[in-house]
Amino acid sequence: MARGFRLSSELIAGVVVGAVIGWGFDRLLSTSPWGLIVFFLLGFVAGVVNVIRSAGVSPERTGR
Amino acid sequence: MIDPIHQFNIDKIFTIGHIGNQEIAFTNSSAYMFVSVALISLLMIGGVAGRQLVPGRFQSMAELSYEFVANTIRSNAGSEGMKFFPLVFSLFMFIMVSNMIGIIPYTFTVSSHIIVTVSLALLVFFTVLVYGFYKNGLKFFKLFVPSGVPIYILPLVVVIEIISFLSRPVSHSVRLFANMLAGHITLKVFASFVTMLGAFGFVGWVGAILPLGLTVALTALELLVAFLQAYVFTILTCIYINDAIHPGH
Repeated sequence: MARGFRLSSELIAGVVVGAVIGWGFDRLLSTSPWGLIVFFLLGFVAGVVNVIRSAGVSPERTGR
Repeated sequence: MIDPIHQFNIDKIFTIGHIGNQEIAFTNSSAYMFVSVALISLLMIGGVAGRQLVPGRFQSMAELSYEFVANTIRSNAGSEGMKFFPLVFSLFMFIMVSNMIGIIPYTFTVSSHIIVTVSLALLVFFTVLVYGFYKNGLKFFKLFVPSGVPIYILPLVVVIEIISFLSRPVSHSVRLFANMLAGHITLKVFASFVTMLGAFGFVGWVGAILPLGLTVALTALELLVAFLQAYVFTILTCIYINDAIHPGH
């Protein structure tokens, strides 16, 4: 359960942060909805990168 | 009567003062934080008071916890990371002791509230940022530019790396909070099955043995989770501090 929580929280954190950045970007520059769309997808990518790193699939990139 | 969320209630004990219109109160959460700090101080000060060459029980507990955290820092952030030993050790001991206190029935688990874990994670995050810029200057930005990436996809990778970096405090805090919250709710739900089945008379009491046994087993699991989450929080802190000391992959 601990491992599952670890990986899922990594993915969710990436998506949430991406969505928040996109939303803030839209509010500041009134580019709605493009900022949200782009940063949401980038957030997904960042989340997947996080998951791969914390799962230790590519050990040379885990930052150790 | 049966309310698995009730254990997370914040109760005001007394009011300290006001900032603007916001009341600043001493709550049961603050009380349990003080209890954990008092227990840690008792262990560490009491443990090293004797200063025996052959440590007694108390002293070896204090020495074991020191060795444990020191080894974690050395293996994850190198010996340069030992500068941050006071921070990492305080974080580890605070989270572990407050989680352990939370296992005892009728107590309050400090880290089951996201505001507590977020403030701990942001403390680490800003320590990494401030120290990273202080130590490396603008070279700290190398953290976002992995080497060996073709120039035409570099902007995309940099944006992804920045989002990944910003998501660290979120996942760092949510992990600890969600584990403690979910574990304690599960424990309470299984415990409430015992009383619910007990309402059916004798057959119910016999059937209640199963959830009772599960509750005991889950308590043992929670003990493991309490330690493990403190350890995971510490390891991640070390990895992030390592990034501040040596940016660039």
